[in-house]
Amino acid sequence: MTQYLLQIALAGIAQGSLFALTALGLVMIYNASSVVNFAHGAMGMAATYVAYLLITKWQAPFALAFAGALVAAFVLGVVVQTLFLARLRHAPLMSQVVVTLGLFMLLEGLLGLAFGYNPRPMSESIAIKPVILGNLVLRPQDVLELALLLVLGLALAALFAATKVGLGMRAITENPYAAQLMGIPVGRVLAIAWGVGVMLSAVVAILAAPMTSVTPNMMDTIVVYGFVAAIVGGFGSMAGALAGGLILGVVVNMIDAFVAPELAMSIVFGLLLVVLYVKPDGLFGRVQVQKV
Amino acid sequence: MLEARNVTVRFGGLVAVNALDLDVPDRGVFALVGPNGAGKTTLINALSRVCPVTQGTIRLNGVDVLALLPHQAVRAGIARSFQRAELFPTLTVLENLLVGLHSTMKTGLTGALMTPATRAEERSGRARCERVLRDLDLWDIAHASPADLPYGHQKLLDVARALVSEPTLLLLDEPFAGLTEAETPRLTACIAAAGERRAVLMIEHHFELLESIATWMTVMDFGSKIAEGPPAAMRDDPEVIRCYLGAARRRSAAAPSC
Amino acid sequence: MNGAVVRSAAIALVVLCAALPILLQAIGERQVYWLFVVSEFYVFAIVAISLDLLMGRSGQISLGQSGFVALGAYTTAILNQRFGVDLVVGMLAGASVAGLASLVLGLPATRLRGHYLGIVTLGFGIAVDQIALKWDSLTGGDQGIHLHRPVALGLDVGTPVRMYYVALVALVVAVLLVWSLTQTRIGRAFAAIKDSEIAAAAMGVPVARTKVLAFIVSAFLAGAAGGIYAFLAGFVAPEDFGIDSSLLFFAMVVIGGMGSIPGAIGGAVVVDAIRTTAATVSGLSLAILGGMIVLVVLFFPGGLKGWLRARARRTAHAHAPKAVVTQDA
Repeated sequence: MTQYLLQIALAGIAQGSLFALTALGLVMIYNASSVVNFAHGAMGMAATYVAYLLITKWQAPFALAFAGALVAAFVLGVVVQTLFLARLRHAPLMSQVVVTLGLFMLLEGLLGLAFGYNPRPMSESIAIKPVILGNLVLRPQDVLELALLLVLGLALAALFAATKVGLGMRAITENPYAAQLMGIPVGRVLAIAWGVGVMLSAVVAILAAPMTSVTPNMMDTIVVYGFVAAIVGGFGSMAGALAGGLILGVVVNMIDAFVAPELAMSIVFGLLLVVLYVKPDGLFGRVQVQKV
Repeated sequence: MLEARNVTVRFGGLVAVNALDLDVPDRGVFALVGPNGAGKTTLINALSRVCPVTQGTIRLNGVDVLALLPHQAVRAGIARSFQRAELFPTLTVLENLLVGLHSTMKTGLTGALMTPATRAEERSGRARCERVLRDLDLWDIAHASPADLPYGHQKLLDVARALVSEPTLLLLDEPFAGLTEAETPRLTACIAAAGERRAVLMIEHHFELLESIATWMTVMDFGSKIAEGPPAAMRDDPEVIRCYLGAARRRSAAAPSC
Repeated sequence: MNGAVVRSAAIALVVLCAALPILLQAIGERQVYWLFVVSEFYVFAIVAISLDLLMGRSGQISLGQSGFVALGAYTTAILNQRFGVDLVVGMLAGASVAGLASLVLGLPATRLRGHYLGIVTLGFGIAVDQIALKWDSLTGGDQGIHLHRPVALGLDVGTPVRMYYVALVALVVAVLLVWSLTQTRIGRAFAAIKDSEIAAAAMGVPVARTKVLAFIVSAFLAGAAGGIYAFLAGFVAPEDFGIDSSLLFFAMVVIGGMGSIPGAIGGAVVVDAIRTTAATVSGLSLAILGGMIVLVVLFFPGGLKGWLRARARRTAHAHAPKAVVTQDA
């Protein structure tokens, strides 16, 4: 039995890395620009189609296609921030939610128009033998996801702590006006935050595309779980997003194994309501006070 | 009427109001002055239950004010205006005032059915609001949107909205800030008239103005009360001069700007 | 706009709608299809109005309105299939179930920040959909539920024309109820909590309770619409009520202009028209609606209604400049 549980936990952590990476991207964008990017999954998905095109139309090797997708994701993030969100910096919260939802619909619709909703195969399935550790089976995909989470997580931490851009982002989060007065190029920093955030989404999308195909709504489920993970993590702390994602991954896999996969999201939301009832700012969130 | 004893409001390490005692009789206009950051708005927020009080007691005609939730303040007789007229831009001027009557009116979801009782209640509510608007000479904009109005009018409306529920204690947070020379007499007359029927506790910086309508002045600095008395006496009080009027005295007889 | 003018225009519109089935007889057999399309539109308009009351008027983000519609539709369908309840009873039962269920969202809504509420309501819509699919002993799963021929208060309303009038009457009643609400104490309280919770509380509005009430009323209306839809379609299945459906209603409210009943109806017209004409091309309606939402937010914040009002104001100013309130002296 413990064997089984461990296997599920492992699968949970692997899937949780996807949620965590999504949540990291969401939190990063939110921290920098105070916007919850409801189009996050769709943007990552759109970048993945770039990879798809590179592979199928120009026979690019996988690594190049992957890189191309990341570049496309970065550009998309920058464009969305500068063209759409920048204008809404002082608009009410509702407007920001609405515009990213609109972008979500627009992107999914456009890609659906262009490529249809049938799954498109991206490359031959890579047949690598799974790694066997004692009695546990590790799929190479799981290992890759965990490894990427670790690497990217550390990279982001380094970005924030040690680079000028990262510092700029933190400053903008604390006090955008003062940051501007201090000479921080707010527009540029926000653009970079969005670019990197969407890149993270693209990484998840490419990992998630069952190694072989893409559809316009491939990220829908993952991004919803990404939101939940971010909320559980307090929607502000990167560490919280990471923890939230991993915990959620395990929970979802437990539900899949012991209850029913078709009810996983419903149960997760039920649990989320309970969590938020007890801690309205998430498990790791800071309490927000309103000033009059 | 209002009895505040040892009121302390603490936010983490910051003490905004420090062991303050305050007595307000049931009629008259009373001023609350002090430099920026003295804790005046915090005190008003505490009295209107917008912010929690760390220590102390506040009683209004024997009722424990601190036991009230923010939305229960009006029913207990405490109404207020805001430093930055927090009006409701979605609603018209008249509707803004009608919200001030939320506690006195009773129509619930039956409003959807427009029963005769509902209609009667609406009529009497609107009549009350009309009276207040006419007193302030604002009836002609009753159906305008507050967002379209000049700032001075918005401030007047903020006060009107607080008046409409005929509170026992009217709290005004810098009601004259932003008003033009032409708008000021309207508000002065309104506040003076209000002071004849209820207690008005008003935060203001404009000394000449206060001297003309307020009968009592409480001076705060760094969260504590440093002096109180008739306005004329406060002008000459050495403590007050030292912390607050000092700069203005040196400049000229002009009222200090803030 | 002048109240009397608006009222006359509204009455004229209702008369026109009432006359539509007669006018449609001219196109022969196709009239059944069009009667259904317009009846369906009336139902959607009710949902749009319910969502506008919640999002536009009360400022509560809700991305799961279809969940309430589904609850109303399924309650009605189940009661009708098993116990043969009539349209009015079924609709009211559905509305009540939806209204009660809204507490699941309304109570947390009092404590949650804006985006959290959006995601939680999204989850609600998804959960209702998943449960409807899974709990097949109650809901028939993906097979759905077929309803009996609709009867309303003893009258057989099982023909397309009669159901059309049922839907039209329901819409008119919904508009009157919501409109009256906005002209009275609770409707004003909704707007107040959206504009400034602190000022609203200072004026005596119990903010938390009012938010919950907004959810209940909105859900009740959406549930009622769902009940009527069940009889209109004669059949309910989970695929009618997914996230796509919620997004459509969301689009209606945004595009039409938030906080306005005619706005919600106008938005419903636009969105439903796009949906029905672009239905066959996958992704097209989603792309168009998404694009419109983005344009509205960026350039036409008041939506369709706001844009029309601004144009009317400009024309009015051009023709008859009145005295404008200015700062004294």
